[in-house]
Amino acid sequence: MKYYDPNAPRVLKHGLSSRLYHWGLMLGFIPAAITGLIIWLKPGGEDFVNLAMRIHIIGAVILTVSSLVYAIVSMDRIVAFNRVNFTWDSRDVGWFMKGGGYLQKMLLGWEVDLPPMDKVNSGQKLFGIGMLYGGMVLIVTGWILYAFIPVSPKSFIYWANLGHLALGIFLAMFLCVHIFLSIYNWGEFRCMFFENGTQPLEEARHHTPLWVANKVIPVRPGVSTTCLCGKEKG
Amino acid sequence: MANYDYDYVEKAVEVSRREFVGILGVVGAVLWTSAYVATDLIQDRTKYIKMRAQGLYKDDGKSKVRQSHNNPAVTEMYKNFAGAPLSSLSEELFHTRYVDRTKLV
Repeated sequence: MKYYDPNAPRVLKHGLSSRLYHWGLMLGFIPAAITGLIIWLKPGGEDFVNLAMRIHIIGAVILTVSSLVYAIVSMDRIVAFNRVNFTWDSRDVGWFMKGGGYLQKMLLGWEVDLPPMDKVNSGQKLFGIGMLYGGMVLIVTGWILYAFIPVSPKSFIYWANLGHLALGIFLAMFLCVHIFLSIYNWGEFRCMFFENGTQPLEEARHHTPLWVANKVIPVRPGVSTTCLCGKEKG
Repeated sequence: MANYDYDYVEKAVEVSRREFVGILGVVGAVLWTSAYVATDLIQDRTKYIKMRAQGLYKDDGKSKVRQSHNNPAVTEMYKNFAGAPLSSLSEELFHTRYVDRTKLV
């Protein structure tokens, strides 16, 4: 609770549509990932695997519908997401060289100086690219496997199935890291789930100084702009 | 009066006309290419099925005996070995068990 102060100035980090889409991703992808592993490994009987397949399809519907709705109503957020994810420079190299400082902090209690980050750090950029484009491939190959097996050539279905499985395993592993680090960075977790997408400005500046300095503005007249980047804005 | 629970917000993202056209172009290209590949694959598959069917009809046309129950080898097999179609031995040797796999597809 390092930054917890109910009266401190706050910044809206995740808008309502993004938070709703995040719920869609959780309710769609997590059941789909777990049941996907069950369908692949078949640890139980036929009825159990059939039930897993039904839950897998329900998860896929939630994932697909929420992604399409978000793409339509929040195209600007997808553009912003792509812009930041595909902007790489020496700061990202520095971030990866220190592994984000996580292990040093977790194992030794060291606070490592890291290059300043934009709204997401370099690891989150990689995760974001994987989830966005890998997720699209997963959705498309999944519906091909659901609906088009009878009319598609065997080789095409073979590669669609293999791609669906490999990407699914890869993204499920990535998701485990994401969940662990989101709970570890408790302020980020609170921001997404308990505080209407808002975060104390100080906390945002600590983790994402470039975002606060370059992309954050006061929401109403009279709010100070001095604390954003250390100098008065026009 | 508005109830602000935050004091700062991210600047609005402006999507330029160039970016918008670019997104439309990429989405259109992906959809067009996917549709082209899919229809091409299905056309190929249909072509192979038709060729296979033509080959079977051609073989059938060349054959002297075109019905299995008139095949001398089959009638001889029933006469000397299996008795008759649907006999106990025929059931045991020629019939398979049914497994419902449709629910997994």
